[in-house]
Amino acid sequence: MIPLSHYMLISAALFSIGIYAVLSKRNAIMILIGIEFMLNAAILNFVAFSKHDKFAASGQVFALFAIVLAAAAVAVSLAIILNVYKYYKTIDPTKIDKLRD
Amino acid sequence: MDTFTKETISLLALIATLLPLFSFAGILLVPGSRDRGSFFSILNIATSLLISVVIFLNVWNKQPIHQQFDWFIIGDWRFKIGILINNLSALMLLLISFIATLVHVYSTKYMEGDPYIFRYWAYLGLFCFSMFGLVITDNLLLLYMFWELVGFSSYLLIGFWFTRETAVQANKKAFLMNRLGDLGFLTGIMIVFSQFQTLDVNLLFSEGGFFKRSLVQGDLWYFSSNHMPAVWLTIAGLAFFFGATAKSAQFPLHTWLPDAMEGPTSVSSLIHAATMVAAGVFLIARIYPIFNPTVLIVIASIGAFTAFMAATIALTQNDIKRILAYSTISQLGFMMLAMGVGAVAPAIFHLVTHAFFKCLLFLAAGAVIHELHHLKDKKGLDFDHQDIRNMGGLRKFMPITFITMLLASLALIGLPFTSGYLSKDAILIQSFEWAESQGSIARIIPYTALFASWMTAFYVARLIFKVFFGELRLNVLFGQAFSLHEAPVAMKSVLVVLAIFCLFPLFSLNPFHASHAWIIEGLPYFSTTPTVESYHILIPAVVSIAAIILILIGYKWYGKNEKAPDYTKAAVFRFSQEQWYLNRLYKVMFVDSVLGLARTAFSFDRTIVDGIVNFSGKIIIVLSAVSEWLDRKVVDGLVNGVASVARTIGNFVRHFQTGRLQHYLLFMILILLTFFVLKYFSQAI
Repeated sequence: MIPLSHYMLISAALFSIGIYAVLSKRNAIMILIGIEFMLNAAILNFVAFSKHDKFAASGQVFALFAIVLAAAAVAVSLAIILNVYKYYKTIDPTKIDKLRD
Repeated sequence: MDTFTKETISLLALIATLLPLFSFAGILLVPGSRDRGSFFSILNIATSLLISVVIFLNVWNKQPIHQQFDWFIIGDWRFKIGILINNLSALMLLLISFIATLVHVYSTKYMEGDPYIFRYWAYLGLFCFSMFGLVITDNLLLLYMFWELVGFSSYLLIGFWFTRETAVQANKKAFLMNRLGDLGFLTGIMIVFSQFQTLDVNLLFSEGGFFKRSLVQGDLWYFSSNHMPAVWLTIAGLAFFFGATAKSAQFPLHTWLPDAMEGPTSVSSLIHAATMVAAGVFLIARIYPIFNPTVLIVIASIGAFTAFMAATIALTQNDIKRILAYSTISQLGFMMLAMGVGAVAPAIFHLVTHAFFKCLLFLAAGAVIHELHHLKDKKGLDFDHQDIRNMGGLRKFMPITFITMLLASLALIGLPFTSGYLSKDAILIQSFEWAESQGSIARIIPYTALFASWMTAFYVARLIFKVFFGELRLNVLFGQAFSLHEAPVAMKSVLVVLAIFCLFPLFSLNPFHASHAWIIEGLPYFSTTPTVESYHILIPAVVSIAAIILILIGYKWYGKNEKAPDYTKAAVFRFSQEQWYLNRLYKVMFVDSVLGLARTAFSFDRTIVDGIVNFSGKIIIVLSAVSEWLDRKVVDGLVNGVASVARTIGNFVRHFQTGRLQHYLLFMILILLTFFVLKYFSQAI
């Protein structure tokens, strides 16, 4: 039986990798991948905690929902990235700094 | 001539008064050529003369004319003014208009060629108007106004040649001295008004007038329900006399008259010899009942002293007009003396005779000056044309001037068969009689006057002999023979007319005694002194004999080219020539002290007043510098400080706004982490 803390550690590691990717990558696609990492860390937590659920496997059901929603979100995000690219001719987030004006 | 009603006569008097004013206004207001005005003025003054004759014939020794109307009303109290013509004012009116007419005629030649002659005619008109007004008005306030006006027109005429510095000084002096006297007059008016509530001359001073009805009991002066301390009666008399002192050039206010000779000679003749200076005597006659015995003694002593002093000064003067001016002062002193001893009628009589002969003396002197001035201009010489030391022998060139002036001089000396003899001896006799009744010390007064009268004989002789006898001294001075002409007809004829009035028949049929002179009989007689018969023979004899002796001495010294004894080094001579040092005394006493006061006030102004102002100015400058500093450093500093703090914060915060999503995210996470860390540790603690 794998203890809960192992799941938590892996999940935290995943989340941290995701954050790192989101904060440091110079490519919007890589940032998207970082976000997926963080999502998956959260989904892993859902699954890990489902052992202690009041209702059987409700955590896993949430995980499935989250995966589906993540796929939808990725689709939307890619569309945004495409539009950004069309407008700026780049997807390097350090170059897109119009927010400061 | 009883066809005239009272109303017509007062209307005529008003017209006679206003005509000269009309010439004054007409000449000044109507523009035209520079030399206009003579005909117009003479026409007006001659009409005034005619009217005066009519008035005189209708008033003299008849009922006085008194017409009044309300000037203004305050509450129930009416202020009335009007015209009062009695014997005195009718006589004055006639005298003034007659002499003024003659002087006008004389001036046509004397002032000929003056570029501003129209001013001369206008001022003469103003003077005649004021003088007429002065004699006919029935109200002290109006009298005062005309009194001021004659002073003012005299001021204008003395300064007629205003480009001369001396003339300007002289008219200023005359004006100031007269103002001083006016102050006295005004004081008198105020005292009279507060006692009687009226200024009507007729009510106050006529027979049975208010003054006769008021009485002095103990220390109080009563009139109906009013009373005031009795000393005010004396003060009022002295105040009025002080006014007369200035106008009639009596000691101590006489010094303006000799200086007034800076005006044209015709003006000196009319104003400063015949009429205006007589206004003081006229005033005293008009208000005679106001004077109590104390004041009368003051008047008599001042008059006698002035007569004496002026005569001593006239002895040594060299300016022909100045001699005559001092002689005028001396004769006015005689009139005042007569007033003081109660001889009102002789005083007015002397005023009239003096007006004629002194006017003539001045006009004749004017003729001499005129001719010498012409000579000076023609030959381009430089000498003083009024100095009798430059004259001499003029009898040959100007016989008519000589004869007329000689007649006037005899009248001035007071030799028998002249008008001056009658009036002057009347005064002397009455003053001796008065002294007899007064007692020992009062005897000084008539003797002083007697001495003055003798000195008159000597200085007049000196004047006549120096001017008309001997040889023309200019010939010696310039080493060539000059010849002069007789005065023009206009001047000559005036001299002749006036000369007739220097003789006795026009005034009294008896050439040796004045008591039946018509002027004396027509005027009120105030004197109560007993007649001393012996004086009536003794005094004229003494005066005349001494005068003849003195004239002979004068002839010996000045007429026959004999050397006169040289007294010029003597202290007495200097004292007389310097006019008793009065001018210098007044300068030290009044002018210098006023100037000193002014200088003190000036330095006070400079140091203290200006100092305070400047000091407060400096304080304000310092204060404003401090407040400027505070404003700049503190107030502005506060505002700027707030702004710079805001800028610093803004600059600092600006660095976070990179516009990069990743940075924002990083901050967010860091803040969240900080929050969690803090929360963790705060729980732990």
